[in-house]
Amino acid sequence: MQVRVRAFARLREAIGGDLTLEVPEGATMSRLLAAVGETSEQAGEALFEESGELRGYVILMHNGRRVRRAEAGTLTLADGDEVALFPPVAGG
Amino acid sequence: MLTDRGLDRYQRQVALFGEEAQERLGCARVVIVGAGGLGCPVALYLAAAGIGEVRLVDGDVVDRTNLNRQVLHADRDVGRAKVESAAEKIRAQNPEIRVVATRATLDEGNAAGLAGGADLIVDATDNFAARYILNRVALHAGVPLVHGAVRGFDGQATTIIPGKTACLECIFPVTPPGEDLIPVVGTTPGIIGLVQANEAIKYITGTGDLLTDRLLVWDGRAATTAILPVERQDDCSACGNGRC
Ligand SMILES: [Zn+2]
Repeated sequence: MQVRVRAFARLREAIGGDLTLEVPEGATMSRLLAAVGETSEQAGEALFEESGELRGYVILMHNGRRVRRAEAGTLTLADGDEVALFPPVAGG
Repeated sequence: MLTDRGLDRYQRQVALFGEEAQERLGCARVVIVGAGGLGCPVALYLAAAGIGEVRLVDGDVVDRTNLNRQVLHADRDVGRAKVESAAEKIRAQNPEIRVVATRATLDEGNAAGLAGGADLIVDATDNFAARYILNRVALHAGVPLVHGAVRGFDGQATTIIPGKTACLECIFPVTPPGEDLIPVVGTTPGIIGLVQANEAIKYITGTGDLLTDRLLVWDGRAATTAILPVERQDDCSACGNGRC
């Protein structure tokens, strides 16, 4: 199935724009995030700590709704879903 | 009542939202924390709009590396306190308002005093440690907080109404990492700062729809904005479970 990924800020720079990714039926948000991280080294760095943990400050949205980090492992996606990933900026 | 001078100065705004709204701006006290990339445009436009009292808080001095984006500071201001440099420019822009410059770095000890009595607080800081402090002060005092942040060509802004909308920690429960040198082009804080100033004007005049429970995300490379819906979190460590 296909899931659309909208990326923002540094993550968008890292993956070069929006993506449509092919993931297995019933894939979870975590599975999708891993797939996004595999698209490039920079994308992996933008999303994951060296330990492999998802960077805690990245805002996850699923079909326009905020997803808590704790939900990512169990939230299953459907064909045509849209996931948005926003790493906030901090400067002034 | 607006004076004749005020009626001239604010003619185009009175035509837009009326004399009473203009008087409300004239009675408003706004604290801008940070006189850098965001704080400069926020202060200039709020002064021009006729905010009665603009308070500037920043502990830094102007450095030459600030000048690409901190547009109230000129080459000759290098080495001067940012709040003094900024206050001088906005007083020249609008001598009819009160400008209070406080050279101080915000911390937990001084935050409540610096923000005390304000009708609205503008987060023009450059780090999340200061932002979390401001958020808690705003929640405690029940004063709206307008958040903005930038990096590179990217920026974000949102408006927080304590006790009603998502607070800064509901939206950003984990702080984004700091960097020694944050790359940025001056137009990014210009755009986000003006979104913040616009929110302040709207809040005070009661105009339009605020950026509450919505995070505006600006992508200057693509020249697009996105709105991400955000909501209050019951377990927020700043405003959750009846804390506010
Ligand atoms: Zn909160």
